[in-house]
Amino acid sequence: MLKTFFQHRMTELSLTIIFIIGFGILVATSHGILLHRNSLQGFLTYLAVPIVIGMAQMVVLCIGQMNLAVGAMGGVSSGVMAVLMAQHHYPIWLALLIGFLVATGVGAINGALVVLTQLNGFIITLGTMTILLGFQYRLVRSFTIDGYPISLPNFGAKSVLGFPLILMIAIATSVLLSLFFSRTATGRRVLATGGNALAARLSGVSNNRSVLIAHTLSGALVGVASIITIASLPGINRSIGGDWMLSSFAAPIIGGVLMAGGTVAVYGTIVAAGVVRLVDIARAQYSLDPSIVSLTVGVVVLSTVALSEWRRRRSERAREGMKVSR
Amino acid sequence: MTTELLIENVSKAFPGVQALNKVNLTLTGGTVHALLGENGAGKSTLIKIITGVYRADSGTLKTNGEVKFFESPVEATHAGIAVVHQERNLIPDFSVEENITLHNPPIRFGIVDRVKRKELAQKALETLGFEINLNEKIKNLSVAQMQLVEIAKALVTNAQIILLDEPTASITGAETVKLFDVIRRLKATGTAILFVSHKLEEVYEICDIVTVLRDGESVLESKALSEYPQGEVVDLMVGRHLADRKVELREIDRTTTPVFELRNISTALGHSNTSLKLSKGEVLGMYGLVGAGRSELARTVLGLHGITGGEIFLDGQLIHIKSLRDALHKYKIGYVTENRKEEGLFLDFPVRKNISVTILSRLLRRLGVINRSQEDEVATKYVDRLGIKVVNNDQLAGTLSGGNQQKVSVAKWLAAETEILIIDEPTVGVDVRTKAAFHELILELANEGLSIILISSDLAEIIAIADRILVMRNYELVADFPNTKDYPTMSRSIMTSIHS
Amino acid sequence: MSVASKAKRVISDQRVILLALTVVLFLFFGFKNSAFFNTDFVLYPLLRDGAVLTVIGLAQLCALSIGHLNLAVGRMAAVAALAAGSAYQYLHFSLIPGVIVGLLAGSILGAVTGLIIVKSQVNAFIVTLAMDFALLGFVTFIYVSFTGATAAFITKPKGMDYWRNTSLHQYCIAKLCGPSVFPMMLIPSIIALALVGFLFARTKLGRELLATGSNLRAAKLSGIPVDRRVIIAHTFSGLLAALAGVMLAFTNGSFTAAIGSQFMLPSFLGPVLGGTLLVGGSVAVLGTFIGTMLTLVIRQGLSVQGIGLETLNIALGLVLLTALSLGQIQKMLVSLRMRGRG
Repeated sequence: MLKTFFQHRMTELSLTIIFIIGFGILVATSHGILLHRNSLQGFLTYLAVPIVIGMAQMVVLCIGQMNLAVGAMGGVSSGVMAVLMAQHHYPIWLALLIGFLVATGVGAINGALVVLTQLNGFIITLGTMTILLGFQYRLVRSFTIDGYPISLPNFGAKSVLGFPLILMIAIATSVLLSLFFSRTATGRRVLATGGNALAARLSGVSNNRSVLIAHTLSGALVGVASIITIASLPGINRSIGGDWMLSSFAAPIIGGVLMAGGTVAVYGTIVAAGVVRLVDIARAQYSLDPSIVSLTVGVVVLSTVALSEWRRRRSERAREGMKVSR
Repeated sequence: MTTELLIENVSKAFPGVQALNKVNLTLTGGTVHALLGENGAGKSTLIKIITGVYRADSGTLKTNGEVKFFESPVEATHAGIAVVHQERNLIPDFSVEENITLHNPPIRFGIVDRVKRKELAQKALETLGFEINLNEKIKNLSVAQMQLVEIAKALVTNAQIILLDEPTASITGAETVKLFDVIRRLKATGTAILFVSHKLEEVYEICDIVTVLRDGESVLESKALSEYPQGEVVDLMVGRHLADRKVELREIDRTTTPVFELRNISTALGHSNTSLKLSKGEVLGMYGLVGAGRSELARTVLGLHGITGGEIFLDGQLIHIKSLRDALHKYKIGYVTENRKEEGLFLDFPVRKNISVTILSRLLRRLGVINRSQEDEVATKYVDRLGIKVVNNDQLAGTLSGGNQQKVSVAKWLAAETEILIIDEPTVGVDVRTKAAFHELILELANEGLSIILISSDLAEIIAIADRILVMRNYELVADFPNTKDYPTMSRSIMTSIHS
Repeated sequence: MSVASKAKRVISDQRVILLALTVVLFLFFGFKNSAFFNTDFVLYPLLRDGAVLTVIGLAQLCALSIGHLNLAVGRMAAVAALAAGSAYQYLHFSLIPGVIVGLLAGSILGAVTGLIIVKSQVNAFIVTLAMDFALLGFVTFIYVSFTGATAAFITKPKGMDYWRNTSLHQYCIAKLCGPSVFPMMLIPSIIALALVGFLFARTKLGRELLATGSNLRAAKLSGIPVDRRVIIAHTFSGLLAALAGVMLAFTNGSFTAAIGSQFMLPSFLGPVLGGTLLVGGSVAVLGTFIGTMLTLVIRQGLSVQGIGLETLNIALGLVLLTALSLGQIQKMLVSLRMRGRG
């Protein structure tokens, strides 16, 4: 029975093994420095954002679309939060809430546009991304905004039993998301749309509603990522979100989420985010060029997709052979 | 209170075609009602009206006393009607249990009630006597199992009226037996079942009542099947008047080398040791039910799938067809596809470009430029030849009627001056008059020397124009005989060979 | 009037509308601020940028013709510029051979992309997306390893400045000289427009590419070698992206890793506004040029007003979304009318 449990979870298993081995290697070659309090804390802290933005992309991937505006939404959202606190002296909770709502709202607009134009999220989010980048710059200019109450970064630095609080927020969000997709009727309906839109429609599921929900949820998750960002970084400038796009795709795709839609892989996405972070640490440790990270990740993503596509076609052909029973 | 679905004088027209004309049908609970008819007779249109996909132009639909046409499939489901389509409509990554309850999953405060869901699914499966792991993902099931899941799905919606559209199209033997068991059980619970099928033998095995549609009309309405022998039903399906048509047997010279021959062909899709001979100017009909393997054979021969054994001969010479391009340019074999909209035409291209797509290399000037005036000439030639009704050669193919579209897809192969043409289900969804005109066209082409393999599930069509008839069943050729063009005898021979 | 001729009217209308809009906005911005009409500082650079962006729009158009997207146009341009730049710096190539090296690099990248798409049967979107990320790393890496901190090839081949700064004003017949607003950089652009337009309007290859985009299965079943056509479409895309990259390098005066980083959005704006369909089967070559000019007029016009870069982006994003929404509505209306037929 244990065997079948793992058979269906090959991706998660292999990723976990890769992570453990990779982590082990880095610990060894750093002569144990990696395990020291500060570096470990740093590693864990910087896991939080990739996990959440990976989730943000995952919810859109599961209906077969993509959200190119993840970075721009994050940039604007955190910019709003920072400006409200530092320049208008809003209380922290209000500023964070407003920023969160902005991100969620943009997500809803993306969804609405996709439904209206019946075009793929790619081109729509390309458009909104461009608009948002403009807003981000307007908001933040070339400054770094850091004049917010000290309690925020203090919160960001807190940890419980060695685990940074913000990482726990990220994981809690992921768990909630996982429950959403596995237990709630709405979540199942969204996955049904992604799995087979026609069948879903015939069973009374509103595909338009699923698209709207997925994009709005994506925005909300970006909002959470922005909260984590502002709590953990010394200041907000216009480069926030600039490198979010690649990680937002890499984690879910490597984690096993199919681009065709219909599946989510929360655990896989989390571990994949961890693996990508390991690559980053390796880069720093071995003084490799940052562009190597991009290159590697790009190649890995491509191979993962090609592999899953190949596997899908192989099972399709096997089933076609099954059709003719002799 | 017995379940009852009453269809009275229902008509539906589409531009250019009267799909249904005052059709009557009474479906009663506790019976299995066969809906028979050739392709294009109106069966699927009727089903779409019952399930709320289309709206009828006139007539009434009475479901358990309530007179109402449904505006959407969801409404029909609420009224207790469920349909199991030919194509699967399931979510591949969801479990059996979830798919069965997809329509109305038990929800409490927004959360799916897994316990209740399992109960519902379990109950449905028990009623059907079907055993399967509820947690298995649909994508891992066989086609037959998926079909049974769909029926279970119908049950969970408390459907008292179940429409089965070609339920045995992709299953055989033991699976069919199981399905019939399930149908009998459903019947025993008072469910009304509409059974649409081409397989007459199975119809006679499981059905009690029969309605026959022909050209949109109900020529036999809700009568007891036991009172109508198979031959008579077939006659009703194809129309007596066709039997009185003049029988013209063509003279085919079969003494010379066949222009095209398959010897012991086996394919990756399941054919084995299939052989056939096509003589010059002959119309060779290939009859079979949907899924028999005829199109698959054609496509394999044309290089689209793998040949695992056997040889192909063209005018006596051994040839190897590597791709469709090869077949067309090297061996002059053309293939008029089944689905003209999806595979035969470029709907947003003008007629002119559709016709010339196979002969672009012949219309070239220097630098690869297409000679426009030559292209126009060719297009006009075939538009006139086939009588395609267009405003001008620049009319977009997507705006033509079905019959004219079909002619365009044939025109491009004629333009390519192919000598052998494989035509796959040419008159599906085309009205009677256009059908007849098309048949004349095929005969004309054959008389001019074109050798044609005609794949068709339309019995009347095959008997009307083929010189020789092959019957395929389950990827196997089960019969090969000359066509006397006499309906009663030919249709009986064909039916017998299909069901033997 | 039949649907066909009505539909035709609509399509040609789009280009006319676009042109009219461009002219109107051009005049509007000029009236608002006469500095807009300044040849040296506004109009010449505008047309020069237009030349480059038109070519990148054509690169995307080639992918769109078969219904694919090329998300790596920017990086392909960067690689080409890198190849040309290194040819100038290390191999001391002269102007034209260096350009050819760049074009070759782009074509090879395009061909490889096409090959991957055909062999792996993976969606073009994903392949070019991954290619984009992989190339991003590659380009930065090469520049930094070879040139260290500067991350640029600065060797200028002889003649580069000519293309950068000269206008038609240099050429005179008798006393009549060409307009000084017309940059020489427009010439390769015009040649590209002519060739691409010719390809799709008149040649067999172009027809087969459009057929592949219009209906892949029908194309295959009509004897068109679709796999080969997919590879060719992507090769052309890479080739034109390379041309745009080299042109931009000439415009900037140096070869850096940043070349192409701003190409993605304009590569879509031009074709989409011009009427090229995202789903394939229909391209609007001249429309790409007009669409590109429209966006540049908007950009330059706003910039002369003193409106910052950020508002520009907002405006362009809005233009794209509006164009897409209108395009969809247009399509829906046409298909509703067509649905009247069986």
